Amino acid sequence: MKMDRRRLIKTLTAIPIVGGLLVILSPLLRYLKPNDGPFQINMTAGDTPSGGAQVVGSTAALQKPWDYFYFTYIQSFPQYDVDGYKKANIAGVALKLPQKVKFVNASGYAGFDGETDVVLFQRICPHLGCIFNFVPDWHEVTAGYGGFVPPKSEQHSLMACPCHLSIYDPTFPNDPGNVISGPAPRGARYFKFEIKGQDVIVTGAETGGIAECPAPPGRLARRAGAEG
Amino acid sequence: MEAVLANLREWLQDRKQHLDLFDETKTAQQDNPLYIVGGLVWLSWMVVIVTGIILMVWYIPTTTGAYRSILHLTEDIPFGWLVRGMHKYGADMLVITITIRIYRMYFAGEYKKPGELSWMILFASLVLAMISGITGYALIWNQRAFWAAKTVLTVPTYYDEIPGMGKLGIGHAIAYIFLGGPALGQATLTRFYSIHYGISVVFAILAEIFFYRTRRRRLNLSFFTIGIVLAFLAYVSFDQLAAMGRWANPNRTPLPILSDWYFLALYQVVKYMPPLWAGIAPGLLIGYGMIVPFLDRTKETRAFERPFFFVVGVYALAMFVGFTALIMLNIAVISRDPPIIFAITVVVITLAFAWEMIHRRRKAALAASRPAPAPARRPAAAS
Repeated sequence: MKMDRRRLIKTLTAIPIVGGLLVILSPLLRYLKPNDGPFQINMTAGDTPSGGAQVVGSTAALQKPWDYFYFTYIQSFPQYDVDGYKKANIAGVALKLPQKVKFVNASGYAGFDGETDVVLFQRICPHLGCIFNFVPDWHEVTAGYGGFVPPKSEQHSLMACPCHLSIYDPTFPNDPGNVISGPAPRGARYFKFEIKGQDVIVTGAETGGIAECPAPPGRLARRAGAEG
Repeated sequence: MEAVLANLREWLQDRKQHLDLFDETKTAQQDNPLYIVGGLVWLSWMVVIVTGIILMVWYIPTTTGAYRSILHLTEDIPFGWLVRGMHKYGADMLVITITIRIYRMYFAGEYKKPGELSWMILFASLVLAMISGITGYALIWNQRAFWAAKTVLTVPTYYDEIPGMGKLGIGHAIAYIFLGGPALGQATLTRFYSIHYGISVVFAILAEIFFYRTRRRRLNLSFFTIGIVLAFLAYVSFDQLAAMGRWANPNRTPLPILSDWYFLALYQVVKYMPPLWAGIAPGLLIGYGMIVPFLDRTKETRAFERPFFFVVGVYALAMFVGFTALIMLNIAVISRDPPIIFAITVVVITLAFAWEMIHRRRKAALAASRPAPAPARRPAAAS
């Protein structure tokens, strides 16, 4: 393309005009992404969820191996909402394993300091966000979740997702809760928890699901640093 | 550069003149029932728009009010069940008629010159109808709607796993934009309502501009056909009351859970594929549909004269029916099935390609053995 003097001057004049228009119109991006403030053009920043410590249950319900209970951990997000915030639930399951494990997953997230036989998984499927179930009898997994027969070593209680049939093994060696069948790209996410007396207290949750904030890596690292 | 633009403009001008949105230029062929589906597309679209506007009178677009307002409309309001049934089954009819029309245009080779633009618009309209479908059935705010919306809006987050895309965060931004926040909630419902309504309004206006300019008739069906179709829709609404499902519960996914019928095959694909590919595959499918007029370069319109594209069409239909059957029967052993399906696909595509090659070679041999003057005589006779 040939650039003569007239064209150059026109282009140079157009740039500030277009830029000015963009600045004026940028607040309209809030129509698209309600968590973005005015004049904030970065469309990728997530919200920081806060949940705090919540007592979700008692170890009295977790006496024998494979005892379990469901609970809900509530996170809230600052929002440009009519109420000014938004709440999101994370469904969870607490269960007692037959043996003690280190509750650390493949991506290095530790849910508990030291070894534990009580573990807390988020029931939000890491695949597409459905709520998966704890299935005490693995025969039900075969019958109800597409016909998967677990290998001999995994024929015990499992966790299975109704939507796309991902099956999770809570006792998976070195990565409790890892996926053993189905399209899920990783194992079940963890809760960070403590046990004080009989109280099971959730203090945090592994991020990455769509129910919670999709924090960009930098922000995630900063928050992890602040916690540690 | 300028020449390319001029060519493109000419191409567009030509295709615009031959544009056919609802078979309104093919009224002479209506003794074949496949050529009334275009009219039926328009008819069912209008049924859906009219009943949709009536539904808006009663509908409350809130997470707490939506389900109850629809229940109230269906059970307490005179003929509420009819309006809702016509809206639902009219939408089903819209998807069915668009699909039949797509297959007719595909197998009859009507997407070839000068029908490329008509085909592309028709194909895009199927995608828009499906988006209207998923945003529409979310409005009931029942379990099926809630989990469909949640899974569909989680798929884009995997786009960030494409190398180089992660930094941009576009996938998460897409999910955020449609969710209106970090999780499915009131903002999502409002946005879906706006999209559901907006798609039909915008495209109805565009279609009206088209008919205003071309002065064509919109609906080229006899009153008898229209009457029968409307009566049938009303009867189905009465006989099969549109299902309510259960109120959405964010803490419990029911087992089993199925999507609306036209998403079932895609749902099975999502089970079989890793999530990133499950997000890309529908895009590839839509991409294939949009560019198929430019891939199939021969002038032949008869199906057996272009074996490759014929087989691809039949195979796509077989996959749609097969996957739908599999998901209805709840069969999906993810470690066993995908290699089998992949192997079948490779074999079918290879055989189709071989058939195409053999066919072309045979035709070339036939043309070579034929006496040469035959093609030369025709222009002489025409002039």
